[in-house]
Amino acid sequence: MAEEKSKSKVVKKLKATAAIGAYQKEWFAGLAERVKNGEDFAYLNADVPMEIFRAMDIPFVVNQWWAAICGAKRMTAKYYGLLNQAGYRDDLCSYCATALAESLDPDDHAIGSDGKPLGPWGGLPHPTIAITRLTCDCQSKIFELFAKNHGASFYAMENTQPRKAPLNWYEIVEDNWEDLYDTDRLDAAVEELKELIRFLEEKTGRMFDENKLIEVMNLINEQEAWYKKTRDLIAETSPVPVTVVDTINAVMQAQWQRGTRFAADHARSLYEEIKALADAGEAAVPNEKYRLMWIGRGIWHDFGFYQRFEQKYGAVFMWSMYLAMGADSYIRNHVEEDPLRALAARYIGMEDFLHMPPWNSSWFLQQARQNRIDGVVYMVPENCMQAVEGSYFIKKTLEDAGIPVLEFKADPVDARKWNAQSMTALVEEFIENRVMKGEK
Amino acid sequence: MVLRECAEKSAAFQKLKNAYTHREEAAKAAKAAGKKVVGTLGCDVPEELILAAGMQPYPIYAVPGGPMDMADKYLEYAFDPMVRAQFERIVDGSLNDFCDAVVVSNSTDVLIRIYLYLKELKRVETDVNFPPVYFIDWLFTRRRMHQERNRLTISLFKEEMEKLAGRVITDEEIDAAAVVCNRTRELLRKIDAFRTAREMKLTGTEMLVIIGGGFYMDREAYNKVLEELLEELPAWPAVTGKRLFYTGSVQTDTGLYARVEAAGAVIVGEDHDWGSRYFERDYDREMPPVRALVDRYMLREFSSKKAFVSQRVEALDRETDAAGAEGVLFYFHIYEEAASWDYPSQKESLEGRGIDTLHFAKMHWPQTQEESDAFSAGLKTLIEGKEA
Repeated sequence: MAEEKSKSKVVKKLKATAAIGAYQKEWFAGLAERVKNGEDFAYLNADVPMEIFRAMDIPFVVNQWWAAICGAKRMTAKYYGLLNQAGYRDDLCSYCATALAESLDPDDHAIGSDGKPLGPWGGLPHPTIAITRLTCDCQSKIFELFAKNHGASFYAMENTQPRKAPLNWYEIVEDNWEDLYDTDRLDAAVEELKELIRFLEEKTGRMFDENKLIEVMNLINEQEAWYKKTRDLIAETSPVPVTVVDTINAVMQAQWQRGTRFAADHARSLYEEIKALADAGEAAVPNEKYRLMWIGRGIWHDFGFYQRFEQKYGAVFMWSMYLAMGADSYIRNHVEEDPLRALAARYIGMEDFLHMPPWNSSWFLQQARQNRIDGVVYMVPENCMQAVEGSYFIKKTLEDAGIPVLEFKADPVDARKWNAQSMTALVEEFIENRVMKGEK
Repeated sequence: MVLRECAEKSAAFQKLKNAYTHREEAAKAAKAAGKKVVGTLGCDVPEELILAAGMQPYPIYAVPGGPMDMADKYLEYAFDPMVRAQFERIVDGSLNDFCDAVVVSNSTDVLIRIYLYLKELKRVETDVNFPPVYFIDWLFTRRRMHQERNRLTISLFKEEMEKLAGRVITDEEIDAAAVVCNRTRELLRKIDAFRTAREMKLTGTEMLVIIGGGFYMDREAYNKVLEELLEELPAWPAVTGKRLFYTGSVQTDTGLYARVEAAGAVIVGEDHDWGSRYFERDYDREMPPVRALVDRYMLREFSSKKAFVSQRVEALDRETDAAGAEGVLFYFHIYEEAASWDYPSQKESLEGRGIDTLHFAKMHWPQTQEESDAFSAGLKTLIEGKEA
């Protein structure tokens, strides 16, 4: 499928979405300037506890956000060609390996004949530190190669599996994480954080200040509490004032700024804007008939996909994990008692909440019920073992509760594999044959 | 399985071949004799602990070409075919009449998923009947704190095995099991020296049978057979062929090796756990038991799944040197992806040292006809190219 054919015609309505987009560009330019001036710069996988870097004021970029930018800029075909030329397979780990592929691009920081930068946003500045967690077999290898290409120091954080898994994690995680996790698992995660801090202090010469971490953690609590209010507001409003097209970008991008005053204020402004729309009776899709849930990563290269079912069917994608994860999985109260332990209780669970049955399936069901979902479209990512998450159990849990599920394979980043027409037809068929027939 | 006349005529080898071929016999005999049998999945389950508890380990292997109804129902397409087949055997009830438990180690990410799925199946689909499942959550990064964490993990696993056995496992019992396992490793290293010697007297195919046969025998009986075989080996005729090192997907039968060796090569070493990685590094009896177990399993040569690229490059260089390899065959099943990220760096290092490489990725198991043809053609080039 030629990328041009699938070009997204996405309609965004929120000022908050535009605001975070503009902020990210300004922030990225400032970051590039800091790196140019010789500061250390960390490139982090999404599951690395970035709060430590925020507290130490070490500039960082998150791998998955950057992959989304590269995908949205339609760089993937070029990048995977470069991987192939270097002897790597071009059909693996697209989400995680985009930046590695980009590191092979000699034009990443070059300016084209039209005076515009050839790399996305002028290209990724050279990191001095690259950090991932060992949450899948491939990630450490990709990050090590990426670090080598940039001349950066590579650091890996371990990952452990839970022995206990209370189904209602989303009800107890904010305050009672000691009940949620095995104690020794939390102990080990705290030790990991201490080791990371030691590494960063040595590498950067910056001091870690626990008081600063408490401040960062409290700002995050403030930000995520606004997401909770926003999620709850959308869930209880019919027709919904906004769709995932509005919320995914607004939340996902701001999430990578978490721990800043900007991000907390942005989350508040997002809520206030949506609340005003709801109060005014504004509907994202005035003829809303069916409320759809999107399970999976965002289709970054074709965001308009989510809106193709609105006019024809009144079917609106109103739920994605991006807002709901913010609402349910980030808040950790009484941080002051032991900020490192509170942070440990946040970062070790993220993979489990999303990718481990029964934690993911039980949460998806609870969310489907809260949001009065009529149908679930579930994208199982291609070529990613990390995102293999018990799709059978997720589907069974939802369908046993009477909620129809469409499951399909796709790649969230690689536009080469995306056929907008056939994907649209698939969802249309699902809506017509299962959602509209009221399986629920 | 293509075996030489010397192997076919050897009584010792035939005992190994029998165990390798009839893999349930020893486990069922142990069960009939009142022993508990523990199925293992993943290469990092400490067999010393299972043996010390008076139980019989039984590596769960994949059967090619069988029905995959349960795997197709419960697993996503991204599980590699061998793991799919292993999962099928667990959940289709094949193990129920002789296995008392299944222990999964997190030796690859896919096995973590298998464990989580098995656990969830137990919870939500109670009509799917299979033995209780245990899990070992190793950390593979070799820092002090991870060694410490591993000691806790193995202590917890020991407690679980004690519950399963219905009794305490004493230090003396672990030491006695370690003596047996160390003796096995020592004998296998001595035997393997006949494969890696300048004048090779063993083929890779034969070595697979010698190693794998022991998985399905009583361990003390196995050591006796290895001792007998060791006596015979000096008289076995030499084999010739291009010396290849094999890296990649585990080979739990002799099919692939036999094809390679029939084409004119000899597989002089490998880095999978049904091959020479199995007998690396002893249990250090000077250490307390849990520490010794962590030392043995955590500090073996890096596996292709749980190591960084640089570690894998160095590991393969060391292994090919030790085996005197002239070429390396990289072979990966479809959806067994991690080592694909190592390959370009490993190739560069090997070829810089004058070692030829041949690479196959995304291979089905068993191979498709098209893959089989490409494999044969590639092998011909690798083997004959050097000679030309």
